[in-house]
This record gives sequence, structure tokens and C-alpha cells, in this order.
Amino acid sequence: MANKRFGLFSLLASLALIASADTGANWLEVQFPHDSPVLPVTLSLQQPGPTTATVRGASLVVDLHASLLLRNTGTKTLSGLTLLVETPDLTPAGRGSVTVPSLHAQPGEVFPVHINMQIARPLSMGRSKGPMMQLSLDCALFSDLTAYGPDKLHARRQLIVYELQARRDRHYLAGLLEAGKLAQLREELNFGLQDLNPAQLAFELLHGPTAVATNREQPLAVNTVAFPDAPLKPLSGHAEVAGNEVRSPRLELRNTSTRTVKNFEIGWIIRDDRGRDFMAGSLPSAMQVGPVETASLTQPGTLRFSHPSGQPMVVDGLLAFVNDVEFADGKLWIPSRRDITEATPDPVLRRVLGSSPEQQRLAEIYRHKGMGGLADELKRLD
Amino acid sequence: MSSGPKAHPAPEFLALDARGDLPLFSRLRVRAHVLRCSECEHTIALFQLAHTELKREAGAETLTAFEAIADWDRLEREMLGNITVGVAAARCIDNVGRKRSWYVTLAFSTAMAALFIAGWLTHIPAQETRQLTAKLAHFARLAPPPVPANLVRATPTGIAVRSDGITLTILHPPGAVVAVSGSSSAEARFVDEDTGQLTITSVYGQ
Repeated sequence: MANKRFGLFSLLASLALIASADTGANWLEVQFPHDSPVLPVTLSLQQPGPTTATVRGASLVVDLHASLLLRNTGTKTLSGLTLLVETPDLTPAGRGSVTVPSLHAQPGEVFPVHINMQIARPLSMGRSKGPMMQLSLDCALFSDLTAYGPDKLHARRQLIVYELQARRDRHYLAGLLEAGKLAQLREELNFGLQDLNPAQLAFELLHGPTAVATNREQPLAVNTVAFPDAPLKPLSGHAEVAGNEVRSPRLELRNTSTRTVKNFEIGWIIRDDRGRDFMAGSLPSAMQVGPVETASLTQPGTLRFSHPSGQPMVVDGLLAFVNDVEFADGKLWIPSRRDITEATPDPVLRRVLGSSPEQQRLAEIYRHKGMGGLADELKRLD
Repeated sequence: MSSGPKAHPAPEFLALDARGDLPLFSRLRVRAHVLRCSECEHTIALFQLAHTELKREAGAETLTAFEAIADWDRLEREMLGNITVGVAAARCIDNVGRKRSWYVTLAFSTAMAALFIAGWLTHIPAQETRQLTAKLAHFARLAPPPVPANLVRATPTGIAVRSDGITLTILHPPGAVVAVSGSSSAEARFVDEDTGQLTITSVYGQ
């Protein structure tokens, strides 16, 4: 009897949610300021797939597929933007974002942004009165590197880094194209082969009571890569490693410039037991480091790595490098192509160091449209 | 009492009268008839004689049985012994039943506990166990209130943040590059097949 009641409740809950999906009301609320240089034109919850609600065990799972059509209503070219995704039931414990860099939306241009999300919550929790999801503009970056938006996620700095990397990579690839170094260009773009995409990994980031030290942990020295012109250089470091878990990595850095560093981002590469390198990610740090000063950085939490198949990835080595630096005056430094080339003689490691979102996008264009398509794209954005 | 006015009393009345067992009114009527009827008087005399004879024979048989019991004390000890053995046997049977029931209960409980523990270990993630332990310790006032566990996870299909039983997952296509993007955040980078745009999705823990 109890099961029947539970089933009936679940069915009614699902029907109520599905019914409201037709209009989009109570599912997704889109909030853009009136003076925003980007405004929504239309919102569809049926693209690229239908939005559905299903009962899975004791949880209600909502698959939300939204297609938001936005218009650049400003007077400047839009280089990129970040949309903030919030779930009132989860906030402030968790939220998400969708960033579209390398946008180059001209004034008046309309462009789509797709968001595919899934929310799973216990049925016993009931339904809050407000919308299940809120979507708002966090930051919009223009081609002159000025920005608009509340920047709750500190997305402005990241968008600028993406834009600087994109300009660097486009300039480099355009130079290869102009010089007729097509073989080198093809190599940079993975020869257009799907298999030569960056190696994939999966991971878990644990905080709070879930991140507990174990007796199996052993200290592992962190190798460092220093770019010749980097204002901040990693000196040494170590982390506690147990199998596929890396805990509290620490790094010593020195500011070799004459300017005060306000923020920086450390890139981490992990090496598995077969000697393969994986770009684990970049961790930003807000730490002021004066000229010629040395700083010590400790990243909290535990990282647990695995292969995409779910098989644990044994961590055999760690490598750290400075990905970008923001000075006290707000200016940013990123490694140049020459820095990357001179940083290491290892071509595989060099490829990992030079991997950027823009290069990934251009490689995709080359894969689908060939050298002609790539040349057109580089010319369009010159 | 009789079949007619001048009829003889029924034989059972005569038999009862012979032993003096009739009620007063019936006895007076039977005695009045017997005074005038020698036949009934004779019948009563026969009943009395038979009773005397039966009594005598009964007394002789009782005496014979009593004579067979040579040692009354021994008989008493045997009877008490039999009673003691019976009581002990009953107690023994009771205990045997109770022990079996206890064993069955213990075995069933152990099996259920083992099944529960095996099910918990194979189905409940270790972090859930730690979280529950922390909550129970707080409930028992043995530990401070636990900090809500926050889990950020990146898989080939999506990046997710989970807290207090609610999970927000931002999905991405196969081939997306996932990476750590902060001390409690993860990102996925991919080119949207429909729009051709480079898209970077992120989730942030607390």
C-alpha cells in the first residue's frame, strides 16, 4: 500500500513538472539586467533535446535542455561571456556556469547558447516555490578587454586569459599559414584526427568530512616547468599521494619580476603509471607576492583521478607550471609560444602546455572544413 | 413407580429400598406394599442378600491386593521417583526447545546483520558512511556539527556538484576535455556540434 502511495505521489510529481515544462515557467528563470549589452531573444526548453522529469529510485531527476538565443545589444564586439547557473535548493553549496569564449559577436548579432543540465533531488524534499533553475549573466567581455556584469564567479579574469590565449594561438597559426609551414600547422592541429584529441580523464574533488587522510599516503615530489619569461617561477613542491588520490599539493614560488603579483594560476599535469601525461587542470590563487618574494601555496582538498572508463588512475608523477599571472595593476601575463617551445624539449609535454580552448576550436574547424576553412576563420578574426 | 394400582413396585425401587436409598415418600409407599405382598418382600430379601455377598467378595479382593503390596515405603519411593523423573524430563524437554529457539534467533539475526553489512559495503559509497558517522557522532554529542560534504565530480558525460543529496550536473558530449578549474570546481571544454561554438561548462562547490 505504501509503495502504491509512493508510486502515485511520484507519478503526480512527475506530471506536475512535465506540465510546467511546456511553458518553461517554474523551471528556468532567465535574469538579465535591463542595461545589459546582451539580452535574451528566445528561450526553448525543447532543444537540443526535450526537457523531461523522471523518478529514479527515491529521487526526481530533471533533464533540462535549454537553448537560449542572445543578441549583442551593445556597441562593441563581444569576445566572450559567462552565464551563471544557480539552483536555489543547492545554492550556496553549489552552482554552475556556461562560458562561451572566442565568440566575436558583432553589435546586433544573434547567437545561440545551449545548456544541458540534470538536477537530481530527493522526492522527500518537495518542491520550492521559486524556479528550479536561475540563469543570469555573470560577465560579458568585449574585444577591448573591458567587461560588464556582476562577476560573481571571477569570470572576467578567466575570459581575458582565454582571449589572450586565443589571440596568441591565432597569430601563431596564421604565421605558420602565411609562411607556408603547412606540415607544422597540421601537426599543431592534430592532423585533423579525432584520436589525437587531448587525453581524457575523470576525477572527484573532495572537501569536508569526505576528504579523509589515509595511512597509504606517501609524499611525492612535484616537478616544475618554468617558462623563460614568466614573472613567477615555481621552485619546488610536494603532495601526499595514495594510489589515485592526490591530497593537499604544495608549491614554492618566487616572483622574479619587479611588479607585485595579485593573482596567478598554476597548471597541474599528472603522469600515470604508464608514463602518459594528462592536463589535470589549472587552479587559480589569490595571493599577493611582492617583487623577488617567495610564496608558499597549498591547495586544499583531495583529488581522486580515474580513467574515463572508471578505472582508477595511479598517479606516478606531478608537474606544475605557472599558467597565467595577474599583476597588482590589473595587467595579465600568459606564456608566449616561444616560452612554451623553450620550456621543455619533450614534444608531448609541450603539446600539453600549449593546449588552449582556442586551439581546440581551430582544430575542430580544420577537422571539419580543412585547411581552407581554417584559413577563412583566421582571416575573419584577424 | 408402578405399572398399575395393584401392580408391584418396579425392581429398581425394590433394590433401592433394600439398601435404604429411597426417598422418604417412596420408601413409605414401597413399605406399605411389601407389608401386603410376600413376593416383593422376598425380592427385597434377595437384593439384600446379593448386596451382602458382593460386599463380602469386594472385601476379600481388596485384602488380596493389599497383601500383594508387601512394602508400602518402597512403593512410595518408586512413586516419588517416577514423579521426579517425569518432572525432570519435562524440564529437560523445555530447555531443549528453548536452546534451539535461541540458536535459531541468533543465527537469523547474524545472517541478517551480515547481509545488511555486505549490502551497505557494496552499495553505499565510503564517503556516505563517513558522513553518516559524523552526523551520528554529532547527535551523540561526541563531535562538533559536521561540515556539509561537498563533492565535485567530472566524468566523460558531465561535471557534477553534489551537496545534501542534491546533484547538479552539466552535461557535455563525448570527447570533452575535463579539468580541475579551482580548489572546488571543475570544467569541461568542448565544441558544440550544433552551434560550432567553443563552450566551457563549470560547476563550483562551496
